Order: sequence, then C-alpha cells, then structure tokens
Amino acid sequence: MSERKHQVCTNCVMDTTDSNIVFDDEGVCDHCNTFYKDIKPNWHTDDKGAAAIEATVAKIKEEGKGKDFDCIMGMSGGIDSSYLLYLAVKKLGLRPLVFHVDAGWNSQEAVNNIERMVDQLGLDLYTEVIDWEEMKDLQLAYFKAGVSNTDTPQDHSFFATMYKFANDHKVKYILTGGNYSTECVRNPLEWMYYQSDSIQLKDIYKQFGSGKLKNFPITNIIWHKVYLPYVKGIKLIRPLDFMEYNKEAATQFLVDEFGYQRYPQKHFESRFTKFYEAYWLTEKFGYDTRKVQYSSLILTGQMTREEALEQLKSPAYNPETIKDEFEYIATKLGISVEELQGYMDAPNRKNSDFKSQESMYSIGAKVMRMIGLEKGGKR
Amino acid sequence: MITIVDYGSGNIEAFINIYKRLNIPCEVASSPEQILTAKKLVLPGVGAFDETMRILKNSGMVEALNKQVLENKIPVIGICVGMQIISKKSDEGELEGLGWIDAQVKKFEVSKLTQKPHLPHMGWNTFKKEKENSILNELEPDKGFYFLHTYYFSCNNSADILTSTVYGDRYTSAVNHENIYGVQFHPEKSHSNGVQLLKNFANL
Amino acid sequence: MLRSRIIPCLLVHNKGLVKTVNFKDPKYVGDPINAVKIFNEKEVDELIVLDIDATVEKRGPNFQMIKNLATECRMPLCYGGGVTSPEQAKKIIKLGAEKVALSSAAIENPELVKSIGEEVGVQSVVIIIDVKKKGFFGKYEVFTHNGKKSTGLNPIDFAEEMEAIGVGEIVINSIDQEGTMKGYDLKLFESIRKKTSVPLTIMGGAGSADHIKEALNKFGIIGAAAGSLFVFKGKYRAVLIQYLNKAQLFTQK
Repeated sequence: MSERKHQVCTNCVMDTTDSNIVFDDEGVCDHCNTFYKDIKPNWHTDDKGAAAIEATVAKIKEEGKGKDFDCIMGMSGGIDSSYLLYLAVKKLGLRPLVFHVDAGWNSQEAVNNIERMVDQLGLDLYTEVIDWEEMKDLQLAYFKAGVSNTDTPQDHSFFATMYKFANDHKVKYILTGGNYSTECVRNPLEWMYYQSDSIQLKDIYKQFGSGKLKNFPITNIIWHKVYLPYVKGIKLIRPLDFMEYNKEAATQFLVDEFGYQRYPQKHFESRFTKFYEAYWLTEKFGYDTRKVQYSSLILTGQMTREEALEQLKSPAYNPETIKDEFEYIATKLGISVEELQGYMDAPNRKNSDFKSQESMYSIGAKVMRMIGLEKGGKR
Repeated sequence: MITIVDYGSGNIEAFINIYKRLNIPCEVASSPEQILTAKKLVLPGVGAFDETMRILKNSGMVEALNKQVLENKIPVIGICVGMQIISKKSDEGELEGLGWIDAQVKKFEVSKLTQKPHLPHMGWNTFKKEKENSILNELEPDKGFYFLHTYYFSCNNSADILTSTVYGDRYTSAVNHENIYGVQFHPEKSHSNGVQLLKNFANL
Repeated sequence: MLRSRIIPCLLVHNKGLVKTVNFKDPKYVGDPINAVKIFNEKEVDELIVLDIDATVEKRGPNFQMIKNLATECRMPLCYGGGVTSPEQAKKIIKLGAEKVALSSAAIENPELVKSIGEEVGVQSVVIIIDVKKKGFFGKYEVFTHNGKKSTGLNPIDFAEEMEAIGVGEIVINSIDQEGTMKGYDLKLFESIRKKTSVPLTIMGGAGSADHIKEALNKFGIIGAAAGSLFVFKGKYRAVLIQYLNKAQLFTQK
C-alpha cells in the first residue's frame, strides 16, 4: 500500500490506493484526464457510431452466410453481455452462438439469466466446463502466492476457451459486452494484473500448485492479441461502444422484458468473483474495485460523485453473510476456514515477485497506441 | 438462543445451518445440564417411535426436558418423530411417549387413501391454519412443507390442533399447547416456508 | 393435497458431476457443490445424488462430500452409492441426508434392507432398480454395476420383494432410455405401479417438460426424476443447471 498521503480525485472517486495515480493541479486524476483526452474524443455513440457498427455488422452477416451462426458471444449472465445479446439479435439482426464458460462458481442468478436470455431470443448455447479439480488447484495456488489478482484463473480460462473455440470453428467475430460506458476507468495493474499473462500463471502454479494442468485452457498474449487477430483475422467487437448505453436503463429493461434477475454488484455472476472483489481485495489489499466502477459511471454521467462517495461509506461485502460466504469458498476449495484465513493474513506479494511477460504488454500497448490501433483507459 | 437437543436422533446439522444463516444464535445440548439452561428447545427425531424414546431415555435428558417444558414452560418444538414422542403413546410401538400433549400416534388408514402411493406419506403437501399463532406468520399454505412419515399425530383436544393437512382424511400436521409446539413435517427441508417457521419460533 | 415430486438426479464420478447415456460415456458437467447450491436456490422438490464409482471401486461413501452437499440443501437429499451397512446409513442421515439409496447391495443381501430400515426408519430407505431390456424378446431385467452386470431378476418381482421387506420408496430407472432425452419408459413403470403401493419414482429418458407431464397425467402422484433435462440445454448439449416452471407443469392436469 502507498505511503503517500491519502488523496481522492476531485472529479471521480479514484484515490491513492492506486499507488500510481497522478493528480493534476486541480486534483483531477490521470484516469479522468486519459478519458477526456484519449477516449472521449474518439468515442462516438451517435450517427457516426451507428454507421461504424453497421459496417461491421454487414461484414459479420456476409461472413456468416449459410452458417448456423455468424458470430459468437461470450455470455456470463451479467448485464453487459445480456443486454448486448438482446441488441445483437433484435437491433443488429445478428445470429450469435452464445458461449458460456463454467468455471464452477456460477451463481443461481447467472444461470437463470443465461437461460432466460437464450430461450427468449431463440438462440443456441454452447458451454465449456472447466475441469473443476484443476481450477480448484490453480485458484488455491493463487491464494498461496499472495498476489492481488486471485481471480486470474477464472478470467484466463474464459479468454482462452473462447479464443480457442473461435479458432477451432473458424469463427471470425467475437462479440463482447466490454464497454466504455461502465468501464472507461480500468482496474489499476497493481490491483488486477494482466490475466492473460500465461508465463506468470505457469510460474505461480509451478511454485504453489500440486499437480499438472492437463485440461486447463491456457492462452498467451502473442496468440490472442497478435496471431489470432492479424494472422487468422479473428476480431473482437465491442458493439456497446457504438451506441448509447445506460446501465440502469438496460438493467430495468431486461428485468421487465426478460425476467432478468438483478445482481447486488457488478461481476457478481460468479460467487468467487463476488468474494474476491468485495472481500479479498478490499480487506487484504485495500483495493476497492467499486471506486473503478463508480468512477466510470461518474465520467459517463450515470452517477454523481456524491452518490459514489456515499455508497463507498459502507463495506463492499455484506457483513451479515460474509462468514457464510467465507466458509463456502473454503469448503468448495477443499480447505478449512482457518487455512483460508491464513492466506488472508499472510504477507501481500507483488506480481513482480513472479515471472511475467509484463514487458511485452507495455511494448505492445505502446505500439498499438502509436499506430492508432487501441485506445484503452490508463492502467 | 436456540438450543437443539442432540440425544442421538435427527438431523442436528440442518437446524444449526439454518439458524447460522439467519444470524440467530444457536447451540447444541447433549447433557441435562445444558437443557436446564436453555431458553428455547428444538427437539428433532427420525426413525421409529420406540427406538427414538429409548435413545432419549438413555441420554438421561428426559427429566431435565420435563422440568423445562412442563414446569418452566419454555418454548419447545418437536420435529417429525420429535413431535410424535410428545404424545402419550403410539400404535407404532410399545413404549410410552413424553405425554406433554394429550394425544396418540396412529397409523394412516390405507383404506382412506383413494389413490397410490399409500405409505409412507412422502412429499410436499399443503396445510390449513386451524388457529392463530405467530409461529405461522408469513407462511405460504399452498407451497406447503415436506412430509415423510407413516404414522400421524391424533389430538384428543381439538384446541391443540395448529394446522391440518389432507392425506386420505384431514389430519393434524402441527400442534400447539401453550409453550409446546410440534410439526409433523420437516421445516429444515422445506425451503422458504421451513426457514420462516424456524425463524418465527426463534421470535416467539 | 400431496403433489408429485420433480427430482433432479446427479451422478458423481471421480469427484465431479457427469452425465451418461445408457450408463456409458460420462460427460463432465462440473463441480457437485455448486450445482447443488444452484438447485437449492431454485427450490427444487428433492435431490438425488449417486456416486457411480463406489460400488465398482468396492468402497464406501465419501462422507465429506455428502456433508458438503447436505449443507447446501434446504430440501430432502437422497444419497446412493457404496452403502453396505446400517452404520454407514446412519452416518449418512446424521450428516444431513434424508434418504439412503441402495441398488446392488439390496440385491446381494436383502437382509441389509431390513437392517438399514431398522436403523434409520423404513421411510428413509430407497431402492433404485436399474432395468435394461435383454435378449431377442426384449424382456426387462435388473442390472447392477452401472448397467454391466446382469442379475437375472425380473424388476416387478424384485420391487414386490422390496416392498414386502419394507422400504420408503422405489426408483425405477430405465437404462435403455437414460441420457437419450427421448422420454420415460412408461410401460415398465406401469407394470411395477400395478403390483406395488409404496411411493414410486420414474427415472431415465426425460427430455422435456412434456415427458414429465405425461408421466404425471398417467400415474397420478409419483416422483419424476431426471438428469440430462436439468443439466443440458439445446442442440450442443450446453451445460446449464435448470429446473421446471412448476406453475406451467401443474396447471394442465
């Protein structure tokens, strides 16, 4: 944790728990300034955006002619992917195959929401079930390693599986619900290091895992950021960036029209992610991802700074149920509550304590930006 | 504080789990001393009447239970066979019950069961409220509870009947006499209705 | 009024959930604890969990797993797999299951059925009869060891024998229909329903809510168990935990 004096951005709610945060003379942080300078000017949700997405949609339809589906969509059961599914089918006229990766932690709401969306939109569903014994072992390895990004096994498996499927089935377009509207501020690397870094994943598993990862799907940055897009032509499309997307309106719409069940917070489709973000990250490291999420909503006018500060006053986790949740996580991982508490209390480690491909990510990001290919938020 | 009587019969864990998740303090009593300091008692029970009575007597807790329930009048709820042993006697066995309620336990008359299956009475069945009591607050009668039994509780005083259920004829599915409650069904295995009933018992 | 019970049935193999077709080719379906938790939140009537390795591996039940699963169930749980003694049955009930299922053990030693009934109560004893059609005339026969061992027993006779000894429930499982999602074997079930009056549960082959409705309409109050129906979705057999919309099921009767 930072030794700097605690300071909160005057514009959003990011603060010095992101130890790399930089404030300008007005106390506005670099997350905000990056948004205003790099993202906002190039982000079009009006006619320009509509035209851009229409062009892409036409290509997708052309590519998919005569096939059972013209694109695949990764679906977690969350708002973004659920709303996107509705839009893709009803507004854009696409025929996606809905793709879901089951890492063993699905909440009942997630499963219900996937079922409802798929049924009512008349779509096909494909699932990949990750080998639970291996996932368990890998997640435990991350707990033992003491790094902050303990949710990497889930995230990594999602990407790896989806890319592999697209490649195997020669599908050129992957739709994702990623969007600037609710994610223009991104989790600092210090909080959530790159989940696709397979060198680090393998190193952590080698040091703390107990067997071999035989079935676990592994990707790597070169494969899915360079080879697949530029050699195999598999593209990741974020349609929500090309239109107006208001999260609350979208949620209410899905609730009214599809019988969608709300989640208490973003990413709560997975019981593990819920525990990880609300309790593990906040209590062990002092990293509260709500600050990232609320700041994004502040920048896109969906939340006021006052509302965000008010919400941040209460804990991210529910004090009434946390004991049960903690016990559930431990039981499912096959360890005792005491053992899990032990990992909680152990010293915090850094990602730089382990092998990594971090240099590749920095170079890659710089190159992408230089040739104008990618504008991401500040990490 | 809810005290679950562990005398060797019944599913203690399920009750502990439910009260834990409701954040209602609960403990397990396996000795007479622990019974004597209890404020509210849950008396589970599965299996046959005689066997259950025998195990209860061997546990040495009967005297303490009688004192707490009959003299000190602390609330007690008997579950399934735990309810049946509150009666005076049962057709199923030879031993006497605790006799806390004037009733006997009888076997369902198969001739009254117009369609198969016959016995045991197994599955989700509805109930009818026969008198007012806060233990029945916010329950959904049509959703019902889970039943699994072959013998039923028959009250000699209709005033003691708390709920009734139809299986062949209409029979008593829950009883109440002052501080004493008994339910034939399994609230610990009846989803929201069950959790609500156990919560209501804690709030008495 | 008593309702029929709609029961998801989960098979455990190598610690994970699997689904088979005709008892062959287990397909990995995921972690049992999470599946049970989701079924619990969907408020299913009852749940059956069967360890399909225990008998074949000649070992007893995995008590830790049973405890973990029972903890997540606010509905009755029936556990089967490797139960060969009243002590094991008692322990299973104590860990939180409501019922104990016997299959090959009941055939090898009918006395065990009686002694387990005495230990945990007759209503908590479930017999699972796996049936396959055998021979040129397709005569029904009872099989054990995941459908591999033929017993020469007629399922109707065996069911009657079990009822006479005293059991709580009998599950009739059609190996021929299992995993095919083409419908229950109603004829098999009917032949046993005619000769017994203990609660019966039909299992094997349910592929849609209509199959379940059909069985309920024909047989009145029964248990209707299904595996694939509640675990697979669509033409790609995507793994997704589902249940039935009860209101839909019970309105048309």
